[in-house]
Amino acid sequence: MNAPRSAVIVGGNRTPFVKAGGAYAQASNLDLLTAALDGLAARFGLAGQQLDEVAGGAVLKHSADFNLTREAVLGSALAPTTPAVDLQQACGTGLETVLYLHNKISMGQAEVGIGAGVDSASDAPITVTDGLRRALLTANRAKTVPARLAAFSAIRPAQLIPVAPQVVEPRTGLSMGEHQAATTARWGITREAQDELALASHQHLAAAWSSGFFDDLVTAYLGISRDGLLRADTSMEKLAALKPVFGGPDGTMTAGNSTALTDGAAAVLLAEQGWAATHGLPALARIVDAQVAAVDHTSGDDLLLAPAHAVARLLARQRMSLGDFEFYELHEAFASTVLATLAAWESDTYCRDQLGLPGALGSIDRSKLNVNGSSLAAGHPFAATGGRIVASLAKQLHARGSGARGLVSICAAGGQGVVAILEAV
Amino acid sequence: MEVRELASMPSMGAQFAKAMVPSFHRGPARIPTHAVRVSRLTQDRTRLAGYDRVCGFTVRDQVAPTWLHVLTFPLHVALLSDPASSVRLAGVVHVSNRMRLHRPVTADEVLDVTVWVDNLRPHQRGALLDLVGEIRVGDELVWDGVSTYLAPGADVAGEPVAVPKPEFTVTEPIARWRLPADLGRQYRAVSGDPNPIHTHALAAKAFGFARPIIHGMWTHARLLAGFEARLPQTYGVEVSFTKPILLPGTIGAWWRPDGEGWAAAATTPDGAKPYLILRVAS
Repeated sequence: MNAPRSAVIVGGNRTPFVKAGGAYAQASNLDLLTAALDGLAARFGLAGQQLDEVAGGAVLKHSADFNLTREAVLGSALAPTTPAVDLQQACGTGLETVLYLHNKISMGQAEVGIGAGVDSASDAPITVTDGLRRALLTANRAKTVPARLAAFSAIRPAQLIPVAPQVVEPRTGLSMGEHQAATTARWGITREAQDELALASHQHLAAAWSSGFFDDLVTAYLGISRDGLLRADTSMEKLAALKPVFGGPDGTMTAGNSTALTDGAAAVLLAEQGWAATHGLPALARIVDAQVAAVDHTSGDDLLLAPAHAVARLLARQRMSLGDFEFYELHEAFASTVLATLAAWESDTYCRDQLGLPGALGSIDRSKLNVNGSSLAAGHPFAATGGRIVASLAKQLHARGSGARGLVSICAAGGQGVVAILEAV
Repeated sequence: MEVRELASMPSMGAQFAKAMVPSFHRGPARIPTHAVRVSRLTQDRTRLAGYDRVCGFTVRDQVAPTWLHVLTFPLHVALLSDPASSVRLAGVVHVSNRMRLHRPVTADEVLDVTVWVDNLRPHQRGALLDLVGEIRVGDELVWDGVSTYLAPGADVAGEPVAVPKPEFTVTEPIARWRLPADLGRQYRAVSGDPNPIHTHALAAKAFGFARPIIHGMWTHARLLAGFEARLPQTYGVEVSFTKPILLPGTIGAWWRPDGEGWAAAATTPDGAKPYLILRVAS
């Protein structure tokens, strides 16, 4: 086995994110991912170049897109001899593709590659009901006409209604929002605290756009050059006026403090540090370590608090404490997810009973949290969020100076979470 | 040349009906001597995305040159339904086409589109004529194209001009594409070309085809889409339509670098006979 080498984040590129059904309504996952790769290729002079691998993925994926990333590579400016792989870990997908490439480069299995993710809630696959699908498959296998007719006769009218994908946990039947509403209530997260976090997200993102922070991170697509969900002029009053969408009439979760269904794609270029240097490419940051974790929401655990567990294990392994970071990027699936995660780390009981620690993990300096905005303002095309966060954080850390560290935390469906530590090169 | 400015792109329905009335003109063929122009044409992104999907292009901001041809097509119809034209679209055969993208064009650009008829010349089976199109953004020429049609039976004085046969070498196809029966309808919806020989069996039979045939410009676009990621930013492309493709059907396709550009063809599934021969020159 080769000795670990230093893999670095060279940079990133994403499309602006827009609300589902908006400007990208006619674009497929393949179109969006191709656009993100082409923008990255243009930014770093990769046109016609054969990379070692592109890892990508989407959460809402058509069965025809079984080789989504490879097809995107073939449609992109990259050399057609660039191999690709599809990965999927719900909203953890984007970060996992980056870790996959990072690990391959570290192990000497690759010199340069791309971690990417895309999701189009506009182009979501519509499927047939399970009953109809089984009847059609049986009919297809039938050797005789009567057998085929018998299979068709099993179809009931109600089965003919197409099925749209839902963000529902298969084992609980609850949507992610409903799960999070239970978490929100359990942790006593107030409406005001959620709206404050949402407001900060919009203000930070708006400021980042105004300052040109995204100039070398985003490439316009289909005439859109800024994130479409961003409301620079939102206020506590406007957010307070929204009706609850999860948790019943007394719920605290609204369309303002929950992420909207979003279309977009993001890609991150990684390379072995020496390779990047010889090719005249920058090295922004490296990934110090990463960790996945899962909770058992089928036994009542908080669905989206797995990152709290993952961070505890990661810090223990790295002999670090929660306060050791310049920046914290906690993906805002819902404002209350971030707030419940922070509350969990501050809770002696939770940290002792659930995370196996002697006491509370601690609290973070909120002025270091999601400083350039996060998913509430930018939107959340599921598999693209990891790439958005990694590229932005790498740039922030690099600007802060060598050795600056940042923590990435992303919750995912199925009670999972993936977290990573980045450090400026 | 007189340029007649149209307020907007002619809607295809009535105009097309006129263009589809066969000419009963006797005597020397006449073509319009004026050009038609539509200025400040905006592109419909939804229709463009539909066009990209039907033809196999990735949905991008930069548009395919064949899309720009599609934008000029209503003006072909306008000219070939004009009283000054003895040649009607009905019965003419699109034999070849060439176009050049002078610089990348994006979907948000506002275009000035001009088309005129030129170069009426005798042919063994009638006459050939060119529909010449130009697209400008402001003063800048961004695209031009020449569609050569054969008007069978049209009377033009002079010795028939021999049309050079495009070079074709039998090649093992890279791709095999299945063209569904409704492909003509799908392409009609995005191209606006409502010629019923592409969608209706009876209309196709009336013009001597056993079944509807796919639009030649679809085949042209589909072939380019086959290697779109390898194409340069700007290029010229020439095609010869050698044989109609009946729907539904299966075709072969290949493309390969050739000198400074690319050679490509849509063929019978075994690669033996070409339907369309294409050359890209950068």
